[in-house]
Amino acid sequence: MIRTTHRSPLPALVLVVALVAMACGTNQGSGAPAGASGSPAAAGSQPAVSGGASPAADLSGELTVWAMGAEGTKLGTLADAFMAANPGVKVSVTPVDWGQAVAKLQTAIAGKTTPDVSQMGTDMMGKFGATGAFEPVPADIAPAGYFESAWNTNMVDGVVSGVPWYVETRLLYYRTDIAEKAGITSPPATWDELKAAAKAMKEKGGSKYGIGLGTKNWQEYFPFLWSNGGDVVDASGNPTLNSPQAVEALTFYKSFFDEGLTPKSVPEGTDPATPFVTGDTPMFFSGPWHLAGVKAAGGADFEGKWAIAPMVKKVTATSFLGGSNLVVYKNSKNKDAAWAFVRFLSDPKTQATWFTTSGDLPAVTSGWEDPAVKTDPNLAMFGEQLKDTKAQPVSSTWAELSSAINDTLEKMTTGTMTPQAAADEMQQQATSIGTK
Amino acid sequence: MAGRAPVGPRRGWRQDLVGWSFAAPFVILFGIFLALPILAAFALSFTSFGLRDLENPIGTTVVGVQNYTDLLGDPKFWKSLGNTIYFVVVGVPLTLALGLVIANALSRGITRFRTVFRVGYYLPVITSIVAIAVVWRFLLNPDVGLINILLGNLGITGPNWLASSALAMPSIIAMAVWRNLGFAMVVFVAGMQAIPAMLYEAASIDGAGRWQAFRYVTLPMLRPTILFMLVITTIGYLQLFEEPFVMTDGGPLDATLSVTMYMYQQGFEFFHQGYASAIAYVLFVIVAIVAFLQFKFLRSEP
Repeated sequence: MIRTTHRSPLPALVLVVALVAMACGTNQGSGAPAGASGSPAAAGSQPAVSGGASPAADLSGELTVWAMGAEGTKLGTLADAFMAANPGVKVSVTPVDWGQAVAKLQTAIAGKTTPDVSQMGTDMMGKFGATGAFEPVPADIAPAGYFESAWNTNMVDGVVSGVPWYVETRLLYYRTDIAEKAGITSPPATWDELKAAAKAMKEKGGSKYGIGLGTKNWQEYFPFLWSNGGDVVDASGNPTLNSPQAVEALTFYKSFFDEGLTPKSVPEGTDPATPFVTGDTPMFFSGPWHLAGVKAAGGADFEGKWAIAPMVKKVTATSFLGGSNLVVYKNSKNKDAAWAFVRFLSDPKTQATWFTTSGDLPAVTSGWEDPAVKTDPNLAMFGEQLKDTKAQPVSSTWAELSSAINDTLEKMTTGTMTPQAAADEMQQQATSIGTK
Repeated sequence: MAGRAPVGPRRGWRQDLVGWSFAAPFVILFGIFLALPILAAFALSFTSFGLRDLENPIGTTVVGVQNYTDLLGDPKFWKSLGNTIYFVVVGVPLTLALGLVIANALSRGITRFRTVFRVGYYLPVITSIVAIAVVWRFLLNPDVGLINILLGNLGITGPNWLASSALAMPSIIAMAVWRNLGFAMVVFVAGMQAIPAMLYEAASIDGAGRWQAFRYVTLPMLRPTILFMLVITTIGYLQLFEEPFVMTDGGPLDATLSVTMYMYQQGFEFFHQGYASAIAYVLFVIVAIVAFLQFKFLRSEP
């Protein structure tokens, strides 16, 4: 609507094609929807929600649920289970492409045509929460059973505006065969060991580089900031991006680029699993989706040549938490049924079923007690890491601020900007753009 | 003398009604889907319309010309404008010159497989940009790309084209020129077919060679067509969007961020719709001025 339009064939074509391109989405590459995450989880053993699966007797009416990406195509099975338990309610699930999700939600909120329930990326909570479209969460849904950092992503201006659905966090993927060749017997556990391992794998292990790190990805930088005792904002929400801890974290991050341990440029859209399998970058940080991604990229004879390890430690070993929440909209005409559906999805049993359906990790800590999740050692490591995670601040300006942080990171990793200058620039941007 | 034709100031309301009813579908659609949004965007550009106004759009804050003054002090806007001008200044002449050369070759030189060539050059114009982007990303891939493999055979280590701030824009220009020159070619071929053959006969009797025929017959006769293509291509290129959008996302370090991309970012990613509207209007004014100047200085006969 904002584009200036001209009555000439070329621009018209350009416009049409641009729309098609937008429709096709921008989410290629990095895999997961940028999610947010939480801080160290207070792993309460209480079920998050009382009576999640046993519904109130007399629910009826229709529910529209929007779910994004892979969740959208798979949520139907859970909706069927919910309808079987609540014959009066008809749930229709609308899958929404991640690339279109933001635009569709904006249109729906502006046009007051929101669904009753939708999935909401943890990093989108602040943005859409600011529109005032979310219904506050009923008091009986308590934070106790959820990973704390996941729960915190739902706090919009002090109001609980959503319920964690699933979570993800980032771990170190590394090549055991190359590590062995380089004389490394146990996975790097600290910052110093990570650096030493990267050097050894490059020099003695025969790899082109030591590790693959993003040149412009705040999700990869923040774990270093957090594990060094720093944070994005302080307790009152003011930015602290140029603290001494931040400068030190940036210095460490930049050193990998300056010492040639990580590539300064990677072709757009490269899956980090590809150079991992070829051995060019024998380590990288990523989420649970790469367990399957590495298997697929490596094939059968890659089995046993790699493993995962927790985030490396400095002051702490805090990693990034992402994932999605569930929100109910103010415009919903059937809020009782909407919350019942959310409670059902948060039930530990449903969470475990959902894991086997979708591979999404349970946001409810007791969901991890289920044998399907518990017995896989790799998943268990993700479960452990989830207890020490943080997410970005919930802010209406997050899309803009994170883009600015990425720009500055790129200037520092690929250019000559010093860590101190980068930290100051991030702080200045956070101050002018705002963090609330 | 036969009776005079029924001329007069009025044709009667009945005829008017018929006329308007034929025009109505267009006028109504134009009004709703173009005129109204264009005016709304103009109004929007004087407000701080953003996320918090979504639920109550009328309640947005009017900020006067602040968006426009902010824009003047926004280094990212200037950077994007500089990139766009770079793209236009290099891309437009290249597109037109190559289009003209190919059109001339296909009209007056090559006769065998003429249709094959014409289709070949035109195909990129009608191919989806997403498909093109995938192919070009492969071509430009630093490790396995065809371009760098060919360079490698010559003993040159090819760069990472799209990841270098110096080479990303030239790569985008190469792709855009390749993609759009087919359209220029088709228009030039049509223009050349309208040039009477006797002019070329006269020229050859006067002893003109191929180059002279091109220089003194084809070029002057094509002048209106070239002007048309110049204006159309410039307007299109000033709105550069999809190439960087699908290839580089404006990077690296904003080296391929165009004005339209910056507008999209502000309007739809950050939801500063007031600010994005201001960018749109500034771009509109620039496009209008450039088109006006091109007409003014190039339309008159030499």
